[in-house]
Amino acid sequence: MNPARMPVYLDHAATTPLDARVAARMAEVLSSPMEYGNAASASHGYGDIAAALVESARAQVAATVGAAAPEIVFTSGATEANNLAIFGVAHYYCERGRHIVTARTEHKAVLDPCRELERRGWQVTYLIPDRDGLLDPGQIAGALRPDTVLVSLMQVNNEIGVVQNIAAVGAICARHGGAWLHVDAAQSVGKCPVHFPSLGADLMSLSSHKVYGPKGVGALVISQRGDAGRGRVQLTPLQFGGGQERALRAGTLATHQLVGMGLAFELASKISSVETARVAQLQQQLWRGLASIGGVLRNGSATRSVPHLLNVSFEGVEGESLLAAIRPHVAVSTGSACTSAMAESSYVLRALGRSDRLSESSLRFGLGRGTTEEDIDIAVATLTREVRRLRKVAGAVPVT
Amino acid sequence: VNYNELTRHYFETAANAGELVGAGIFRGAAGNLSQGTWVQFDLQVNAGAVSEAKFLAFACPHVIAVSAWLVEQAVGRPVLPRLPESVQVLRERFAVPVEKMGRLLIIEDAWLAAVHPAVDYRG
Repeated sequence: MNPARMPVYLDHAATTPLDARVAARMAEVLSSPMEYGNAASASHGYGDIAAALVESARAQVAATVGAAAPEIVFTSGATEANNLAIFGVAHYYCERGRHIVTARTEHKAVLDPCRELERRGWQVTYLIPDRDGLLDPGQIAGALRPDTVLVSLMQVNNEIGVVQNIAAVGAICARHGGAWLHVDAAQSVGKCPVHFPSLGADLMSLSSHKVYGPKGVGALVISQRGDAGRGRVQLTPLQFGGGQERALRAGTLATHQLVGMGLAFELASKISSVETARVAQLQQQLWRGLASIGGVLRNGSATRSVPHLLNVSFEGVEGESLLAAIRPHVAVSTGSACTSAMAESSYVLRALGRSDRLSESSLRFGLGRGTTEEDIDIAVATLTREVRRLRKVAGAVPVT
Repeated sequence: VNYNELTRHYFETAANAGELVGAGIFRGAAGNLSQGTWVQFDLQVNAGAVSEAKFLAFACPHVIAVSAWLVEQAVGRPVLPRLPESVQVLRERFAVPVEKMGRLLIIEDAWLAAVHPAVDYRG
């Protein structure tokens, strides 16, 4: 594909381009005559240098989310971090209880581990958010049982961008005394404030590639706080080998990846309020433009959401055709998990009460650092033209 | 989903989308919104031949493309009580995935609903 003809990229919620400064630093590590050692090799200087790089990255990640460096366990990404948190807690505390609370609108990387635990005999309560995609903390309180060992909720929803009140959930879990709180914060860093201690969470999953860092690396933040009643959260590891990462995630550490993630997080921590306001302006520009088409519905709360995401449904337009029509001009995600002709409409939007048809004709726009006003103009013009054209082709389609 | 060149062309142009009104118009429709596919054909018939044809489709690109192609092919030809090509041949021509066969059958139902009453019309 000719780079000059690439569509406008508005899918930053799926992944972000690697920051040039991060890429340069990773390249330095990869080509350095001194930095290729194994961080676990304590017997020579090469290992010491690699270990120092890893610890520096750990400190950068920790500082960005207000955690202590020893609380960071590096993983291959947020999916692995979610798996480690959920299976790790479930198995460690299986004698105490086998009940988990989560929400229907969580990422598959949380829902699928929960489904697997159900197959293994655990019970899972799936909370349903309101029409704006928000959970009332009272719902969590009402779902907790004496045998609940884990509550797993995302801070920023990956499809609709709404921000849950995690701190309130943290307080509820602390009062309960037996339920640990895991937060999937893969979409949060650089988009909304993330301060691990203030959230009251015990575990938090992080992703590098959502923050202009490399793919294939992430982290699980594991609280070293604790209280007299239940102590610190403990996990049963899923992966065994060389005892790396406090024996919670065995395997040789990918130094260059971790260095990249560390720098990406440090850069994210320095994002100014001016940049956040710029993205918010672009989101408003996008929403105003799309809304002017008519028959366009916004999905998720407009007030309790990050400015980087906008999810909308287009009435009277078939989903696959909409995506095919705009594909040459604008790169976005469909609101549906459409991986084949047998499309499955978005379970997140259906949980909000959207019909299958509207869920299928929904698009997720992900704005990022490189997004410009011109990009938004192109997106609005493309959507306006193609939605009108497809509605003309569809005519007045009967409902039944 | 990948689309072949023919599908992309007829989907992007969607020529002859719309409705016909007046005498000698035969309309057939099939599918519905809940199925995710709805197709309507309008054929104007004169002396046993199609003089003009239009379609509407709330559907995927394959269905829109096949429908647009069918009405283009029909104009100027005799009305026949069947599709101009079999569903299988249409599937191959437009590289329609096998899991979408049901959508082609909706096209066939709509087409037959339009042409059956038109076959004997000599208006």
